[in-house]
Amino acid sequence: MLYKDREGRPAGRITNIQRYTIHDGPGIRTEIFFKGCTMHCLWCSNPETIRPGRELGFYPSKCMTKDKCGWCVRACSQGGSPLVFDSEGLIAVTDGTKCVGCMRCADVCPNHAIKSWGEDRTVEDLMAVIRADESFYRRTGGGVTLNGGEVLVQWEFARLLLQACRDEGIGTCVETALCVPTEHMEAVLPYTDLLITDIKHMDPAVHEKLTGQSNRQILANIRRAAELGTKLVIRTPVVHGYNSGEENIRRTGAFLRDELKGDIVAWQLLPYRRMGTEKYDSLRRPYPFEDYTAPEREVWEAELLHLAELMRTEYGLPAVAGSGAKLDLDGEQTPQT
Amino acid sequence: MIDEKYINTSEDRPLAVEPYDREWGVGISGLTENPSPFPRINKMLDWLKNTDNTADSQRAKIVTECDRKFAMYPQNVKWAMTLREIYRRVKINIWPDQLIVGELCAPPKSAPLYPEFSFDWLVDEFRYRPMDQRKNDRYVVSQDVIDDVYAMQDYWKGRTVSEAALAMYTPEELQGGHKGKGVTQESLFMYAGVGHVTANYEKLLAVGFGGLRREVEEHMAALDEARPEDVERMNFYKAELITIEGASTYIRRYGELAAQMAAEETDPVRRKELERVSSNCLQVAEGPARDFWEAIQLWHIATNMIIIESNGHSVTYGRFDKIFWPYYKKSVESGIMTREQCQELIEHSFCLMHSLCKIRDTMAITFSSGTIMGGTALDVGGVDEQGNDITNDLSYMVLDAHAHTRIPNPWMGVRLHKGTPEQFKVKVFNVIRIGTGEPKIFNDEPMIRALMNYGKPLEEARNYVGVGCVEPSIPGKTYGWHDSGSFNLAKAVHLAINHGRCIDCSSACPFYKGCAGAGKSLSPDSGGLDTFTSFDQVVESFRFQLKYWCDRMISMINKIDLAQQRLKPLPYLSLLIDGCIDKGMDVSRGGAVYNHSGPQGVGLGTTADSLTAIKQLVFDDKICTGPELLQALRDNWEGHEPLYAYVNSDRVHHYGNNDDYADDIAHMVMSSYCENIEHRPTPHGGEYMPGVFSVTANVHHGSYLGATPDGRKAFEPVSDCMGPVHTACCSHDTCGPTAVALSAAKMDHSRIGNGIILNWKFSPGAVSGDTGRDNLIGLMDTYFEHQGMQSQFSIVGRDMMLAAQKQPENYKDLLVRIAGYSAYFVELSTELQNDLIGRTELSFD
Repeated sequence: MLYKDREGRPAGRITNIQRYTIHDGPGIRTEIFFKGCTMHCLWCSNPETIRPGRELGFYPSKCMTKDKCGWCVRACSQGGSPLVFDSEGLIAVTDGTKCVGCMRCADVCPNHAIKSWGEDRTVEDLMAVIRADESFYRRTGGGVTLNGGEVLVQWEFARLLLQACRDEGIGTCVETALCVPTEHMEAVLPYTDLLITDIKHMDPAVHEKLTGQSNRQILANIRRAAELGTKLVIRTPVVHGYNSGEENIRRTGAFLRDELKGDIVAWQLLPYRRMGTEKYDSLRRPYPFEDYTAPEREVWEAELLHLAELMRTEYGLPAVAGSGAKLDLDGEQTPQT
Repeated sequence: MIDEKYINTSEDRPLAVEPYDREWGVGISGLTENPSPFPRINKMLDWLKNTDNTADSQRAKIVTECDRKFAMYPQNVKWAMTLREIYRRVKINIWPDQLIVGELCAPPKSAPLYPEFSFDWLVDEFRYRPMDQRKNDRYVVSQDVIDDVYAMQDYWKGRTVSEAALAMYTPEELQGGHKGKGVTQESLFMYAGVGHVTANYEKLLAVGFGGLRREVEEHMAALDEARPEDVERMNFYKAELITIEGASTYIRRYGELAAQMAAEETDPVRRKELERVSSNCLQVAEGPARDFWEAIQLWHIATNMIIIESNGHSVTYGRFDKIFWPYYKKSVESGIMTREQCQELIEHSFCLMHSLCKIRDTMAITFSSGTIMGGTALDVGGVDEQGNDITNDLSYMVLDAHAHTRIPNPWMGVRLHKGTPEQFKVKVFNVIRIGTGEPKIFNDEPMIRALMNYGKPLEEARNYVGVGCVEPSIPGKTYGWHDSGSFNLAKAVHLAINHGRCIDCSSACPFYKGCAGAGKSLSPDSGGLDTFTSFDQVVESFRFQLKYWCDRMISMINKIDLAQQRLKPLPYLSLLIDGCIDKGMDVSRGGAVYNHSGPQGVGLGTTADSLTAIKQLVFDDKICTGPELLQALRDNWEGHEPLYAYVNSDRVHHYGNNDDYADDIAHMVMSSYCENIEHRPTPHGGEYMPGVFSVTANVHHGSYLGATPDGRKAFEPVSDCMGPVHTACCSHDTCGPTAVALSAAKMDHSRIGNGIILNWKFSPGAVSGDTGRDNLIGLMDTYFEHQGMQSQFSIVGRDMMLAAQKQPENYKDLLVRIAGYSAYFVELSTELQNDLIGRTELSFD
């Protein structure tokens, strides 16, 4: 999917740009979140990135009320009629006939109580933001990380942006679920220094239950990426009771050891965190994992440490709990305790 | 004595007590029992924590008596004789476990009193605001001391430095300065001593007081008293000899006391210690220091004597690793001492610094905490005169000593440069990550350039030390009057947009009758938002008001300078600052090689965002008219909520986001302030130099100030130091730390000769793990590459996260780390916030 801006230039549909990101790839990074996803994971913490189209979200708790603020009403192309308030603030934005999606309310809201999810931005536009921190990347071995949603839904634009970074000597990292056609992945790999991807479950049926998609394409893509000599960080979000069983982790370990020859930069076992619920609320969508209760910190910390230890000792894999350990892209991986 | 686990057994240097990469946790601050491996130090820390502050009247009584008795002598001779009396007569003590001795002519945690600077306020405090009922900075003072103070009040009436300075003020200065509307707070050196100085310790340790005496005598012998100017010089040298005699006596008394106590001591270990203490003191009473222990003894007591002479704070302990390296090397290599013994002495000296205290008035302690002396600066790292890195064992040991004591003294600074060893940076940032706020870091390149901009040769500039908070100074050569005042830049905005009047001008103002009530205004009328037709006119008016009050601030500081010169010569400090003995001139009059006066500009961010808001709202985007904005300020934004919300939002350009629209205006504000201060002459024979930092003066200045166009309501603090604006509504920087660094570095820091501060705030999670640490180092390396001059850190722990939950609007920029990435704390769900709050130092995710 390749969007165009009003002047017909290629544009990426972006939900967020986060500077000084330090855990998705080495060094200090600017991370760009793309809109649109091919999967629907139960625990997804970025629901605003799932649908491809622009969306309006709103946070009633951030609204300063119509009387004390009212910028949205004055900016609205429909004279404010789609915006419904009570004394506490905004309670609804009526869609359909009234709201025409001009997004002017979101553009003007001082407190970001109304939020426009998804902005179309050109390569040059994004490069201006990226370039500002170039000296920080240079110093720390950092760069840009493209993330999503599924960034490879917009693979044509992603390739253009990665190419532009490469041209300017800025490091590149792509974080993707890889549930995409192999040629889309291959299109960006020549411009990608590091690929971060997930293995959420080894059983295709269970994987489909958890994410809406089978893992076949994902595992095939991971194999292909490894074949092409791509530097890989594998992540497993360990959700207690869903994919935390030793059997599943052992199967994942076996896949990495036998099919990838253990040739990965790191395997990060990450804890599940209940995140993004406020964004579901802003979009008026239910949180699919509402009924799930995570165990206490001591339990999941112990579980992750145990699994990582197991994978290091029995499978010889560079497994770590959490994402705090440094990534060494050049050297031999030495697992840390 | 020392636990094995604390000893670094690796073959690699540095040979500090702790491994270079030892971690003490992240954001846990001082919350650790017995942090030191030395039981003696932990005992001292407990004592310091659990002992009340008090006051002591011995010094004040002797000073009052001598002021009468020696009134016929020249001022400097009178004060030298007074000092000698103090050194001869005050009661001295050696406390249990002490290995380094010397008090402040009062027991530890007891503040001596200095009636010669100002006195009435102290009487008022005792009479009307009992200090044992203070919430913070509590003092428990005995009735005897209070009675002593009452008894000397009459004598000091009309004789103090503060009264002499105020007598020179014009009515206009009284109205705009610290006594009035607070455009300037120029009074720091009016009610107390000046301090803000580093002695030439290297020379003192090498030649001792005896060496100084011989130098004075040589100069004396060359004088011809038939020449009128030599009579003055002769007085000066006489004063120096009297002072040296007093100083030696004071140190010798401790040596004699220690010997006497050793003779009575039954514990053989302690007896040995006391014998060593005695021999140290007897040696350095006149002679040079011969080993590390003698050196640290002389350094400590010589510094105390600077504070006994004058209560000016920010008496700086210098570059520890440079001063002590030869003594340490000799002691350890010859086997006289072990590294662990040296480590214990360093930690011991930190406890002694922490026992110094100074009474401040209720007003002062409302805006800053002040039981401690303040400004006990001590630096490590950096380059020597030839440009070579000086990092050595002591640099690491000093940082370990902070981790082992976790007390806010000394105020530690680390000098960084391109050749700083990476291992040392790891140590520095591991200590920073503890979260006590220590140490701050300096960037050698712009600091050295700043000094060269004020006439110092390269070799000397390389040997700089950060005096007090951050002020660049040549140790042992500079009498800098650093921090001589502060200027409320945001007040100049008010006067500039409201015809020279305060924005909140009303008959409720205590000055109304003589000011607006009489048809006048605080400043000349330079226009208002109701008359300006372009932003250029706003800038012109702002610059006019800035100049008008900078001129007046300098006039007031000059008067204080002259009053200090006339009434309070400093014969003891004059011994320790190069130039004085050569010139035969007291340091207060310009005896030092380098002389300065450094007033700070305060509220840079508030001023920049205020002018930016005017430019965007009134002139560029035409969101509101000038009169509408003016009315909103007069109404303290009440009834103007939409505009208030808008001006505080990121729809408006703000300083601190790497946005040239606002950053260019910040640059203009900074340059305009510098133009009005830099290189103007001071009465003690030097140059003024501007600073841009507030410490806590931003709270004080804000407490006087009506609403400002940046979206700040009346009486909120103005922005701190070089930092972006944080109003009660929200933080104005929303693009993260790299953008703050880039915005701040757009200004030329080396032009700001009196120094700058940039405060950083991180959550422990954002800097934990190797990734967190190394990227923080990378962030600072890059900021320094962009010629940022200074940084200091608060690594926020649990308490701040709890506060952020209660008032999320004030913590929009609080970055925390969660699985896989960092996010803004206030954007997270309550549950997740609670989870993060529950995170321990060993946690990960």
